[in-house]
Amino acid sequence: MRLFVLLMLGLLSSPALAFDLADLQHRLGDTQGLSGRFVQTRHLADLDTDLESRGHFTYQRGKRVVWALEQPVEDRQVFTPADARAADDAPGDTGDDRRRRQIAALLLNLLDGDWQALERRFSLTLSGDATAWQVALAPRQAALRERLAEVTLAGGRYVERLRLETADGDTLTVRFSDLQPLAGSDP
Amino acid sequence: MTRPAALGKHLARLWGLVLLAGVVSLAWQLRDGLPSDTRLTALLPQDRQNPLLERADARLGRAFEDRFVLLLDAPALPRATADLAERLSAADGGRLLTRLDWRDVDFADSDPAAVLGPYRYRLLTPSLRQAIEQDGGTSLVQPALARLFSPGGDPEPVADPFGLLDRWLAQQDDSPVSSWQGLLTVRDRDGTRRSLLIGRLADTPYAPSAQQALTRALRAFEAAHPDARLLHSGLIFHAAGGARQARHEITTIGLGAFLALIVILLAVFRSPRTLLALLLPLAGGLLVATPLTLALFGRLHLLTLAFGASLIGVAIDYALHLQCERAVQGRRFHLRPLLPGLALGLVSSLAAYLALALAPMPGLRQMALFAAAGLAGAWLTGVLWLPRLALPVHPATARIAARWWSLTTPRRTLAPGWLAVVALILLGVIAWRLTADDSLRLLNPSSSAQLAEERQVQSLLGRDTGSRYFLVTADDEPALLERLATLGQRLDTASADGLTIGYRNLADRVPPPRMQDANLAAVRRLYGEPLATLVERAGLPGSVIDKARATLDSVPRLDVATWLDAPAGTADRRLWLGPVTADDGTTRLAATLVLNGVDSAAEGRRLAALADARPDVCYVDRVARLSRLLGELRRHVSLWVGLALALLTAGLVLRYRRQAWRVVTPALGALLGTLAVYAVAGVPLNVFSQLGMLLVLGIGLDAGIFSAEHARRPATWLAVSLSTLTSVLAFGLLAFSATPALHYLGLTCLIGLTLVGLLVPWVRPAPPRIKERPHGEH
Repeated sequence: MRLFVLLMLGLLSSPALAFDLADLQHRLGDTQGLSGRFVQTRHLADLDTDLESRGHFTYQRGKRVVWALEQPVEDRQVFTPADARAADDAPGDTGDDRRRRQIAALLLNLLDGDWQALERRFSLTLSGDATAWQVALAPRQAALRERLAEVTLAGGRYVERLRLETADGDTLTVRFSDLQPLAGSDP
Repeated sequence: MTRPAALGKHLARLWGLVLLAGVVSLAWQLRDGLPSDTRLTALLPQDRQNPLLERADARLGRAFEDRFVLLLDAPALPRATADLAERLSAADGGRLLTRLDWRDVDFADSDPAAVLGPYRYRLLTPSLRQAIEQDGGTSLVQPALARLFSPGGDPEPVADPFGLLDRWLAQQDDSPVSSWQGLLTVRDRDGTRRSLLIGRLADTPYAPSAQQALTRALRAFEAAHPDARLLHSGLIFHAAGGARQARHEITTIGLGAFLALIVILLAVFRSPRTLLALLLPLAGGLLVATPLTLALFGRLHLLTLAFGASLIGVAIDYALHLQCERAVQGRRFHLRPLLPGLALGLVSSLAAYLALALAPMPGLRQMALFAAAGLAGAWLTGVLWLPRLALPVHPATARIAARWWSLTTPRRTLAPGWLAVVALILLGVIAWRLTADDSLRLLNPSSSAQLAEERQVQSLLGRDTGSRYFLVTADDEPALLERLATLGQRLDTASADGLTIGYRNLADRVPPPRMQDANLAAVRRLYGEPLATLVERAGLPGSVIDKARATLDSVPRLDVATWLDAPAGTADRRLWLGPVTADDGTTRLAATLVLNGVDSAAEGRRLAALADARPDVCYVDRVARLSRLLGELRRHVSLWVGLALALLTAGLVLRYRRQAWRVVTPALGALLGTLAVYAVAGVPLNVFSQLGMLLVLGIGLDAGIFSAEHARRPATWLAVSLSTLTSVLAFGLLAFSATPALHYLGLTCLIGLTLVGLLVPWVRPAPPRIKERPHGEH
């Protein structure tokens, strides 16, 4: 499921003017950085409960993604090409959390515009128009399908909503607001 | 027609029938091509003393046999890797591989959580266990909360609110392989990133078709990507290299020797028909040896074939004696006077070859049987058929014999006393300087570059070679796991104390039941107050607490079988030996704990000391153990050479009385001379040079016997010279083989046989009339 964060953040940075995926990818490559706020709602089907959290994020091309939870718990996760780990190292974390590092690497690849990496895992369908578009991603691998039913992204100028639906009925919805492109400058 | 002549005729016919049967059975055996074997490991001793060790070795060695690994370094890595993967998948019409992993998704197609899920409450990483011990797990609430709300998390508030399984899996996953741009990659210390491709072969790595298909695919790839650099690892590359080398040597050394033989024989006998007749015993030998070896062993080792090519030298011996005698004697030729010498020659050679069969190495046994059967077949063909063939006799042969005789007969012969003094000096040199080498490197035909590449790949992948391990036994599974866990702790203590090694322990994957119970108890503590806090702070409904606690009611214990069946546990199957029968007949369980990074003898000693401190734990250094076995084998062979020599000398003294020293000097002198050369040159003695000595002994005795039997005949000396020369060509040229085993065998023959040829003229009985011109008798 951690894959989803890459996906989400990867597409987040794509200005949604494009109507074919090549354009989308091209624009993805143009984005130097983006920041904004998010509200994340996770619906747990078997408990019929929503877990809601909010915070802000920054993405700097080729450098890092910072995903900062503010409520209900403060947590800052930084993904860099070289490494990625929770900023507050959890007790018991061996410091060698390779799975997370792999995700960080993938995430950065995505943000850096490696659209092929997504296409390896998903078949992509684009619909709508430039002001209100939607991309549906369906997992290709059976193993992935067992866990993930569908991913949808929707937006206009930028991505505004991301929705992941898992095979067991849980959903994760992220709404973005206050999106600001960053100048292609160093932090 | 006299009775013996009639008997000879019958026997010749009978022999024809035997050879015909050989042809028929060989044709039947070869209906699907020659069942050959290129494995040099087949030469290894069968370790009958310790079948358990043998099983552990085989298990650890075989695990990766049908797999190979490629590491690719190329400028446009993703594209180059995809191209390579495509070529490999398409190789041999897509039949080369059953599986090729190269994309990161190839590794993600099985979810370990699905299998291990039910056991997760009994599996705790040491740090989690420690955290719960310290404060009941309060410190774990905050990271669990972050996990619940993290976008990438996969929260399971009921099944695993603290993410125990993720932690466990992350700890298990110690592979240096990471995913990058959809590829599987590893990076070395310099930061060079290489993509990883793991292939699983459909056929055995020894299958020539698989080797060729793989080699072709890789060559085509390298041609298309000149900038790409590949690192290879896997048995198939070594097997292909070995097979290529063996084929190359058979065609150069084997064919070279054969051509040289033909040129020499044509020069002496000046008749193609005679030449063909001389090759007849060789054909007879092969027709006896090949079907017999195939019938007994099922397949022919490539080394046996190479050795068999060397048989040419000896098989042709008998024909040479017959033909030289006939060329010189003309119509007065009779077989009968030659028979005692021929028979003695056969017996002494057979003795030398059959001594090989006493070696406890299946490969050597096969060679010995092949050689002995071939020799007997060649001898019978020569004796039964050759005298009946009407062959042209060229006067040049007799002339050459006479000229060679007068050219090479020294003015005086050596006195036995002098020989004894020289022998003593040589013995002194040998005792003083000669060393021995039993390293396993002798058996390994791979080039050092190939081995270095293999090591590089293994170290990049953080893999062990399975050559050093602890073998642990116990009465039942809990006890075995407990023992493994204790051993792991001792190794950890030693590591903290400066021992730089790594290991893979089954007990790290499947904790002993006692540990699993303790873990569950710790999780129960964690599911008390900390769980309630977590649920409250997350804003989850209170019912989650009861549901989560209910999951702890009946948690199954993870056992070895379940783990080994799980996709993540497949790699550990090689560590598990399962039920074994102990010396006292009871059934016990055994497993190995494989070590890596053991670089020094001191480390090895520390590890051995760790095992010595405990019963039922045994430290095994496979390479050292096999070297020790090779050493034992070498001493074994020495003993047999000594015994064979003593026995033969005794037999020869019975026949030749005071002249016996003349018979044994060529053989003994050549052996001492060769050993002295090795001692002075610093070439260590090994089991293969000793096998070469056996051949020198056989051929040297042949030469001594014939010279003593037919002292005054230039024909005999010509035959002895030709046979020594042909043997040097056939065996001695193996000195140029790159396979260490053949090289030492060949080098010994080269030196030894040359010495035989040089010694014979000096010790043969002095002829009464040295200036006789035999060809004048025509």
